[in-house]
Amino acid sequence: MANEELKHTLKEQIIKYLNLLEKTPADIKDDQVLFGEELGLDSIDSVELIVLLEREYGIKIKDPKEGRKVLVDVNTMAEYIVENRTR
Amino acid sequence: MSRIVVTGIGVITALGDSAAANREALKKGQCGISFLDLFPSRYAETLRFGEVKVSNDQLRQKFNVLDKGVTRTSLLAIHAFEEATKNSGLSNEQLTSYDTALIGATTVGGMCLTDELYHDANNDTQGSEYISSYDIGSVNLYMQQRYGIKGIGNTINTACSSSANAIMYGARLIQHGLAKRAIVGGSDSLAKFTINGFNSLQILSPEICRPFDASRQGLNLGEGAAFLVLEKEEDAIGKKIYAIFSGGCNASDAFHPSSLSDEGNGPYLTMSGAMQVAGVTNDQIDFVNAHGTATVNNDEVESKAMLRVFTKVPAFASTKSNTGHTLGGSGAIEAVYSILSIEHQELYPSLHFETAIESTGLTPLLAYVQQPVQHVMSNSFGFGGNCSSLIFSKA
Amino acid sequence: MIYIHQIASVSPQRELLVASMDEVNESANNVLKVVEPKYEGIPLSVLRRMGKAVRMGVGGALPLIHHLAFPLNGIVIGTANGGMEDCIKFLNQVIEFEEGTLTPTNFVQSTPNAIASQLSMLSANQGYNITHVNRGLAFENALLDVWMLLKENSNHTYLLGGVEEISSYNYSIDYLADWFKKEETSNKVMYDSQTEGTLSGEGSAMFIVNAIPSNAVAKIDALKLMHTSDAAEIAKQLKYFLKEHLAEGETVDLLLSGENGDIRSRHFFEAAEGLLNNSSVARFKHLTGDFATASALALNLACQLIQTNALPAHMIKIDHMKEVKKILIYNQHKLVQHSFILVSKP
Repeated sequence: MANEELKHTLKEQIIKYLNLLEKTPADIKDDQVLFGEELGLDSIDSVELIVLLEREYGIKIKDPKEGRKVLVDVNTMAEYIVENRTR
Repeated sequence: MSRIVVTGIGVITALGDSAAANREALKKGQCGISFLDLFPSRYAETLRFGEVKVSNDQLRQKFNVLDKGVTRTSLLAIHAFEEATKNSGLSNEQLTSYDTALIGATTVGGMCLTDELYHDANNDTQGSEYISSYDIGSVNLYMQQRYGIKGIGNTINTACSSSANAIMYGARLIQHGLAKRAIVGGSDSLAKFTINGFNSLQILSPEICRPFDASRQGLNLGEGAAFLVLEKEEDAIGKKIYAIFSGGCNASDAFHPSSLSDEGNGPYLTMSGAMQVAGVTNDQIDFVNAHGTATVNNDEVESKAMLRVFTKVPAFASTKSNTGHTLGGSGAIEAVYSILSIEHQELYPSLHFETAIESTGLTPLLAYVQQPVQHVMSNSFGFGGNCSSLIFSKA
Repeated sequence: MIYIHQIASVSPQRELLVASMDEVNESANNVLKVVEPKYEGIPLSVLRRMGKAVRMGVGGALPLIHHLAFPLNGIVIGTANGGMEDCIKFLNQVIEFEEGTLTPTNFVQSTPNAIASQLSMLSANQGYNITHVNRGLAFENALLDVWMLLKENSNHTYLLGGVEEISSYNYSIDYLADWFKKEETSNKVMYDSQTEGTLSGEGSAMFIVNAIPSNAVAKIDALKLMHTSDAAEIAKQLKYFLKEHLAEGETVDLLLSGENGDIRSRHFFEAAEGLLNNSSVARFKHLTGDFATASALALNLACQLIQTNALPAHMIKIDHMKEVKKILIYNQHKLVQHSFILVSKP
């Protein structure tokens, strides 16, 4: 299970990588759909998040289909990080 | 209004270093896309590109370029410029007169020197020889200086439609009496900047690109340059007329920074707008040199837009299957190919196509044919929704 | 003939208003940076991706587009470099991560056409859309383009703009190429400087233009673009330009000079002043700094000077106390690109 500290750090990283103006980690719920209306993320953001996983956790996602399964919400991303991180 | 005619053409791409060499390769259905031999990149042996297999030193020697700080983008431009102005028979006096305009286009300009720029921009050098050559305007400004061109000079950047807009701008300068002749075109060279930019958007194909094929996986970047000499018909009496530039249209897709709208509104507007300007109906277009980058988005949207514009979609092909996508050069390069089709009354095939896109069912021209060619449309659609279509016609 | 109906700017001065600009913001380290306003009308989801050039351009223009009395037929922008900061940020990634996995946002934002294309998206404008990038004549080519467009379609209305940003990166490049002063020089005394180089600046100026005279702020009578390093040639061209475009008995009331404190360019401006010895002379680059599209901000100031007839003391070089009805803007960039813009009261 991914712990709260990891999720908090991950939210901070998402805000930094996507430059989400006026958002704080508290504004992003663990199970909030990332590519939904509220956050307003799009396909370019998904690439930014793949770069985040590689640079921060040493995880390489090559297959876009795999990416779609991972980049659902903070919970799915955090779990994937716990299982696959190399740093 | 006077008709604007093309009295000179010049082109260099992965297919060859002259209009004649490019035509021979197009007729034979040759593909210039390969792994990299000259340009150093991490992807040199894994991705394929339309690389011009002529080194910078060879290009410098050929045109006696002794000035420091001349980039590959400029050298390719000089190559095409020299061919176009020579076969238009422009005298030095004409070239340097106040009524000769030079309108260029490029997307990387001097940024082809990604590593040098990195060091100069981050201030860890005393300044390299390229310090004044990085910006996009540097290519045209060097040419203006080198050839002593005193007329209006401009550089246009509308991403992949840049040089299509340069052609239109030059023609309009002549129509408005602001220039008597305009040398118009564009140039781009391979750059780590664009290779990695397109790669980060995940639209570079892992294999040789397959425009309009159902299983296309993206584009191959290329490099090259082309220039055209435009004049008024009455000023070109006695000269060889390659084709008439009948008109063009620029419009915005106004949808997304890096993809076209599903309905292809921008492409629809430019294709129908260009026909209106040229005074032709959709059944009079004999051939479309499509933008056809082979990205999933472009080819489907362009197909849909063609189906909207044409009662019956004419023969079409994407020469990006021969040259790769030459970005700022592509509009002018494909204008030259359209002109060659008109000059020689022949059409060149699209390569690497197998299966039509299901939703549109369109198949490009797959074999070289000789046939009457009166009007050719050339499409260029750029990032940021910058769309343009041009129409060239037989004199 | 171009009639200017609305103007907006983002500049190193909090508000670039000739009527109320008694105090001038001072340069720091030879740079005049823009004072960015709070941008209204750009959705946060879009704003988060924008670099400074795109923000200044889009943020400056959107309020004009939203309060438009005419339908807008197209967007014409001049910018030599566009989003330079994003461009080098992406470049740094290319080198530092050795062409590894990179983020596309900087790449997409760095292309010079990002300003015009973002504007088309945010205003759903499918009309003519173009970006001119010919360094020191990028804005002048945009102006020339609009001049032709309005001759082709006399009932059209266009957004015209000039934008440039200074980042530490393009400052480095132009500094190494000797375009900026080596010694600390304040914009308040820059015109007295006897050394090479100018002060760096940035800004954006946006205009709503068409061919309709009624209610216009100013009109552009004529425009000339030149490429030469010869001051005698500039004098010759200026004489010819004035003869061609001034009616019998008409005079230029004010020369708005692009003087930039670079000793190497002084003779160009002196040549222009020499031919206009009955005109007042005003300068503007202490307000904006120097950059490739500074003439766009000069045009903004010219519109205001014609409207208000107020000339702030810090802008005056020579004052003949004339009512300002006709202004000649003369600017040069990097000693080879020159332009004349003749502006008058509509």
